[in-house]
Amino acid sequence: MIDVNAYLGHFAFRQLRHNTAVGLMRLMDSRRIERAVVSSASAITYRNAQSGNEEVAAEVKTHRDRLIPFAVINPFYAGWEDDLKICREEFGMKGLRLYPRWHNCRLSDRACLDLVNAAAERRMVISIPIRVEDSRQRSWLVNVPDLPLEEVSELVKTCPRAQFILLNGAGFVNSPLGRKESGLPANYFIEISRLTAVLANEIGQLINNLGPERIVFGTGMPFNYPDPALVKLEVLEASEEVKQQIRWRNAAKLLGIAV
Amino acid sequence: MTLDRKTRHPMPRRAFFRTLGVASWAGLARPPAAQPWPAGAKVIDCHAHLHHHSRPSWQEDDRKLIEAADKLGIDQLCCSILTPRRPSTAEGFRECSQWVAEAMRRFPGRVLGYCYVNPGYGREALAEIRRCVEERGFMGVKLYNEYRVTEPVVWPIIELTIELRVPILHHAGHAHYFLEDQPRISDGGHLAEVSRRYPEAMLICAHIGGGGDWEWTIKALRNAPTAYLDTSGSVTDDGIIEMAARVLGPDRLLFGCDNSMTAGVGKLRAADLSAEDKQKILGGNMQRLLARRGTR
Repeated sequence: MIDVNAYLGHFAFRQLRHNTAVGLMRLMDSRRIERAVVSSASAITYRNAQSGNEEVAAEVKTHRDRLIPFAVINPFYAGWEDDLKICREEFGMKGLRLYPRWHNCRLSDRACLDLVNAAAERRMVISIPIRVEDSRQRSWLVNVPDLPLEEVSELVKTCPRAQFILLNGAGFVNSPLGRKESGLPANYFIEISRLTAVLANEIGQLINNLGPERIVFGTGMPFNYPDPALVKLEVLEASEEVKQQIRWRNAAKLLGIAV
Repeated sequence: MTLDRKTRHPMPRRAFFRTLGVASWAGLARPPAAQPWPAGAKVIDCHAHLHHHSRPSWQEDDRKLIEAADKLGIDQLCCSILTPRRPSTAEGFRECSQWVAEAMRRFPGRVLGYCYVNPGYGREALAEIRRCVEERGFMGVKLYNEYRVTEPVVWPIIELTIELRVPILHHAGHAHYFLEDQPRISDGGHLAEVSRRYPEAMLICAHIGGGGDWEWTIKALRNAPTAYLDTSGSVTDDGIIEMAARVLGPDRLLFGCDNSMTAGVGKLRAADLSAEDKQKILGGNMQRLLARRGTR
């Protein structure tokens, strides 16, 4: 299995376990997750996110066969172009994670679009967490709302050459992102950690609407337990072939992982 | 028992995780359930909701809930129906109880009933609880956010549940901001205060995974040894179950989903607890509460 939604490092508002490379891989082993895309949890709130990228690069250096590092870049911070170059060329990072609300910007801002286009030119995958935590448990210090799906929808339309993974999202079937024939380019993938597999069964609806090749497995470890996402795949009413696509094939293709 | 989809033969729900397997990749066998339910555990979802009949799809949605329970190995669901708009009227909550009673007959042994009332209706609320428990076999009372549990208007209800020996599942949450749409929501601190006042009551603080800052709630309940906490809600933060078990003890935790089914099951399955503790949380503790009145 390939988990496209994992993290290393500390988070500002809650202690995380399993947040070192060794700890995360131990957890992955216990759930038979072969590889995981990781970025810095600390970089979400570091002013200079590049420090978090450096920490992740050092942490995964000897575990590149298991951990696939992504960069966190704030397009309004000085030197982001240099940081992007270093992350791609020196650290070998295959993608980005964008936190527009945590970095106090909108995906439609010129700087964000510049970052997305620069990353796409470098063939980096751009992942966008719709949320980091449930906002009901937010600290008294900050109020970071979920990213509106309409904003994401506009971005994928505006940047058709870029490739996106949408993390920690739900309610896609009520937005153009999850509808059939919405006119949006097929340049985005949806990760399952917050989707339902029973009752409303949003995963099943998205498979019907977008095709199974657009759905990818992710857990949100170590913010989240891995098992809820695993259970979803276990109870999902889909063929084994479709489940294999979701478990790893789609992500392997997107990330250029030879298997 | 669950019906095997191909053979239509009964399949023990416990076999669920063993029969759902996952295929191999890179030489790995399909990932099995990381920690299947402990053998023999009775699984009771202490916090579930059936659907209000103003919803056109309520029958289908109720059926899906039972199907989801089948898939996930949940033996029984303790269900309430809430009015879509609250505060509820007496007529509104009586109608909900009527529908829960019908569901208990429609899904015998699977659906256990909570009687939802608005404490503001005083005698009518008390009469409805007594009728539901004594005549209809309901297992408990569901209170929402019409009043804080610390307000005197709620106390006669607590006293009645002590007399009837049934638990109260109380909606709760603690956010670090004012909830404009829930100005009288109770939190773990309020429930702790009331449980110290009424140690014979069986108060269940609802949805640790859907009530804001869960670390705050767990700590607030620490010194209220007769209050229980339900594990339900959509939040699947790593460590939530272990912290609750460490601070409150596994005897005070009750498994629940609040209709976030895979979240509820997944976080219990993932929690790093002994099989014995999981068995208590999954159903053993709730069975103990139900036994006080003899509900099965």
